[in-house]
Amino acid sequence: MKATERLGKVIDNIEKVIIGKREIAELSLVALLSHGHVLLEDVPGVGKTMLVRALAKSVGADFKRIQFTPDLLPSDVVGVSIYNPKDMQFHFRPGPIMGNIVLADEINRTSPKTQSALLEAMEEASVTTDGVTMQIPKPFFVMATQNPIEYEGTYPLPEAQLDRFLLRVKMGYPTRQEEIEVLTRSQAIPPIEELESVLTLEELLELQEEVRTIRVDDTIRTYIVELATQTRRDPYVYLGVSPRGSIALMKAAQAYAMLKGRDYVTPDDIQYLAKFVFGHRIMLRSEARYDGITAEELTERIIAKTHVPVQRLVNQ
Amino acid sequence: MTSIRKNKIFMGLLYILVFLLLSEWLRPVIELTETGHHRLFLAFVALGLIMAFFDMPWWITGPLKLFYVLWFIVYVYTGNLFFTAESLAFVVEQASVSLSALFSQDWQATTDVFRTVLFFALLWMAIYLIHYWVSFRLSIFLFYLLTVIFVAVLDTFSPYSGDTAIVRIMVIGLLLAGLLHLARWMERHGAAEKTDKLLVFSIPLLLLLVASTAFAFYLPKADPIWPDPVPYITSYSGKGGVGEGGVGRIGYGVDDSQLGGSFVSDDTTVFRTEVEEGQYWKVEVKDVYTTKGWELSEEDADEQLYRNGDEVTTDFPPAGEERSSALVDMQLPFPFVLYPYGTASFLMEETLDYRYDPVQQRFDTLQDSIAFEPNVYEVFYSEPSYSLTALRETDIEDLSELPPEYDRYLQLPDELPDRVGQLAEEIAAGSDTVYGQTQAVERYFGSNGFEYSQSGIAIPEEGQDYVDQFLFETQRGYCDNFSTSMVVLLRSLDIPARWVKGFNEGEVIDTVDGYDVYEVTNNNAHSWVEAYMPGVGWMMFEPTIGFTGASSIDFDLEIDATEPEEEEMPDRPEPEPEAQPEQPDAGAGADASPTAGERFLSFVSENAGKLIASTIGLLLFAFILFKIRKKWMPKVLIPYYRRKQADAETFEKAYLRLLKQLELYGIKRAPGQTLRSYAEYVDSFYGTKEMTKLTAAYEKAVYGGDAQSVDWRELKESWENLINRTSG
Repeated sequence: MKATERLGKVIDNIEKVIIGKREIAELSLVALLSHGHVLLEDVPGVGKTMLVRALAKSVGADFKRIQFTPDLLPSDVVGVSIYNPKDMQFHFRPGPIMGNIVLADEINRTSPKTQSALLEAMEEASVTTDGVTMQIPKPFFVMATQNPIEYEGTYPLPEAQLDRFLLRVKMGYPTRQEEIEVLTRSQAIPPIEELESVLTLEELLELQEEVRTIRVDDTIRTYIVELATQTRRDPYVYLGVSPRGSIALMKAAQAYAMLKGRDYVTPDDIQYLAKFVFGHRIMLRSEARYDGITAEELTERIIAKTHVPVQRLVNQ
Repeated sequence: MTSIRKNKIFMGLLYILVFLLLSEWLRPVIELTETGHHRLFLAFVALGLIMAFFDMPWWITGPLKLFYVLWFIVYVYTGNLFFTAESLAFVVEQASVSLSALFSQDWQATTDVFRTVLFFALLWMAIYLIHYWVSFRLSIFLFYLLTVIFVAVLDTFSPYSGDTAIVRIMVIGLLLAGLLHLARWMERHGAAEKTDKLLVFSIPLLLLLVASTAFAFYLPKADPIWPDPVPYITSYSGKGGVGEGGVGRIGYGVDDSQLGGSFVSDDTTVFRTEVEEGQYWKVEVKDVYTTKGWELSEEDADEQLYRNGDEVTTDFPPAGEERSSALVDMQLPFPFVLYPYGTASFLMEETLDYRYDPVQQRFDTLQDSIAFEPNVYEVFYSEPSYSLTALRETDIEDLSELPPEYDRYLQLPDELPDRVGQLAEEIAAGSDTVYGQTQAVERYFGSNGFEYSQSGIAIPEEGQDYVDQFLFETQRGYCDNFSTSMVVLLRSLDIPARWVKGFNEGEVIDTVDGYDVYEVTNNNAHSWVEAYMPGVGWMMFEPTIGFTGASSIDFDLEIDATEPEEEEMPDRPEPEPEAQPEQPDAGAGADASPTAGERFLSFVSENAGKLIASTIGLLLFAFILFKIRKKWMPKVLIPYYRRKQADAETFEKAYLRLLKQLELYGIKRAPGQTLRSYAEYVDSFYGTKEMTKLTAAYEKAVYGGDAQSVDWRELKESWENLINRTSG
């Protein structure tokens, strides 16, 4: 069975539970396939948790959830060593981070100290406590959610840490039709309980490997770099996309191409993913805010004016 | 493919047309090279075409053609109608001579027979090529175009007249091209078998052809707007305008009282001369214009008698002390000597007198008071040089103060129409020196539609003036017309002028000891003008277009500045111990030909208006062509890409070309728009799926790096479909 068909099954599976959020499901899968993590930014109650749970179930992964609160401590995330009086030894009790798919709910509610513990684990795919490094089982995928940052009592994530997320996705409300469908379905047994896995973890790991083989032509690489460079030059931008952002875009595009059944990346992939990859990596000046321009809009503008490579590069 | 090519009647018709077209090639070639047996060559062409038509195998056609060539050689060169032992021996001998010449690369030694064989080989090749074009490619356009160009070029640059040939070629060629196009069309649409259909289809073609030919025939035809390029081109080579292929007879004559009419070319050698630089050889002058020609005034003058080596006095004193020498070897008996400008003295083996008559300005040779016809003589001269500064100071006022002996050079017949004088005033207006006015008159002919020609030249009728007729009616003529007209115009301006007869420089045939050997024939008989510049003296002028005589005076300042170099010429028999100096190049002075560059510049300046107009026209045409390129580009692109190799590279180029065409059509792609979204838009615009299909293949090839997967053959149809839509 081809990669795209397997992945298609996963998406279909998720769609059984989450209605009208196929795009978000796809993007989550893209992040999962390219060893990335997703920052879901939206108000509560639009199905964020459900989405992650459905994804975890579909791939037969271990699902963990951490609800971030202001008093949460790093040890509550990564785990803690507890002294066992019987053998007079400290035993490490793994925290909720030690799972395949982790939902970090309302990440901006907790203190920067705890946030950074999570983000470090995300970056390294391992945790270190009391001098002992513990590998987090693979695959490892974190979906963090945060409420829009204007809310009271939040600790906004610093830019350096935002950079650790591959994609930032906004969920949005369902349409009227979709919401009616949601209501209809919730009358019966919650469908999530009946969801079965359609992909094993081994298969998922294989697919993660396969993503690396997706071809990125020189023209596409040039295009990515051109887009990233444009964000750094834009007068509205205080801080543009870092080279890590460029890498993220390329990796995400590879996964997305595989999802779409291609073994090469096209400019369409780049254009589609750019706003999810660049959105949280661009820091705007206050002028942009006065003019009502968001980072996503800015990315779209840059895409519209940057020439799409349509010809093979010669001698470069 | 059941083909129109199998239709023998149709193909037969094509072959007949091809034969006619080929014979149009053959005709000028044979006419110009003065090859005989036109019919026999045509028969060879016909033979070749017939055999090609019946598709005979090569082992029949080859020997047959070879046999024909052999027979031709035997028949033409030995006069035998059939092969005899003798004639075969001739062929073998010819073959051995030619082959040995060939191997020793001695091209001169190859015989006429050999050249004939080569010509046949060429014909053979031409027949084969045409046969291929017609029966395999069903296309003749290139050959047709070449034929038109060929005949047009010959018509312009050679005596061959293509007036009617070009019409025949156009008709035959159009018919042939039309029929072949029809054949291609029918083949493509599978309507090939039905001959009646073919007939129906060719009716509009024939009607169109007949209509356009008739239309073209009855339309008024404009005269060519360009001056004939030939005089300009031949003048570069210094050959003058006397064409070898003319119809008249030319030469030095005594009676000039009735000028006009065509003349026959005559290449009898008059004399040969060893000289450093080509000279105009003066014989005599005439001073009375009679409205029909020239006569000599009755006036008596003191005749001068000179002997060998005596310093002679003419109106053209030699410049400086250094003398050039020219050895003249007469081939025709003339009882006088020809002399270049600036002649100082003559030398001959015989003892004799040179009688110089200042009116006629001819040096008659007399031995014991009886006319003597010299064989070989040497003339010492130094070309006069004129200071441009002095020439620029020639005051018009001075003309009225000339002594009475100049009056006869101002003589004009009473019958001379007034408009000649008016024209002279017009030409001279704007020049404020005598020299300026003279120059203006000299140059007048070059830029006012005058044409050099020796044939069809009018003879003035009773009561008509020779000059008036040339200036205002015919504007076509040879040296006599130009020179006489210039003298009359100058005299109308009160500038003393006279008509000079002689020979121009001739052609270089050899070089001996650094001297050029010129051969001067009757074709070089010429006439020109001498005019008097107050304060400077007599000067020669060359009004005849295409001639490179003393027309350019611009060098004069340089001549003043250049001192002649001394050079020993030891190999020359010198009658005097004193070494004869050689005149340097610059000494060519008034006679020097303007360089090709100058002629080109003058051509440009004279035709500036036309050149600018045609450049603008061309640019405009190119611009329009560029502007409407979306209309015609697909017509060019489809056959172009059809013919190209069916690989991924072609596909990529074709795809990019399609993008350009779509853009031209008005479906613009924003810079940030990806090919896919553009393709979707294009497809929604045209209601097709083809652009998406092509784009997917293109993306795979370019972004996927998988060029092998592209099947251009399969995609071609979609591509053609789309590109055709863009021309709508």
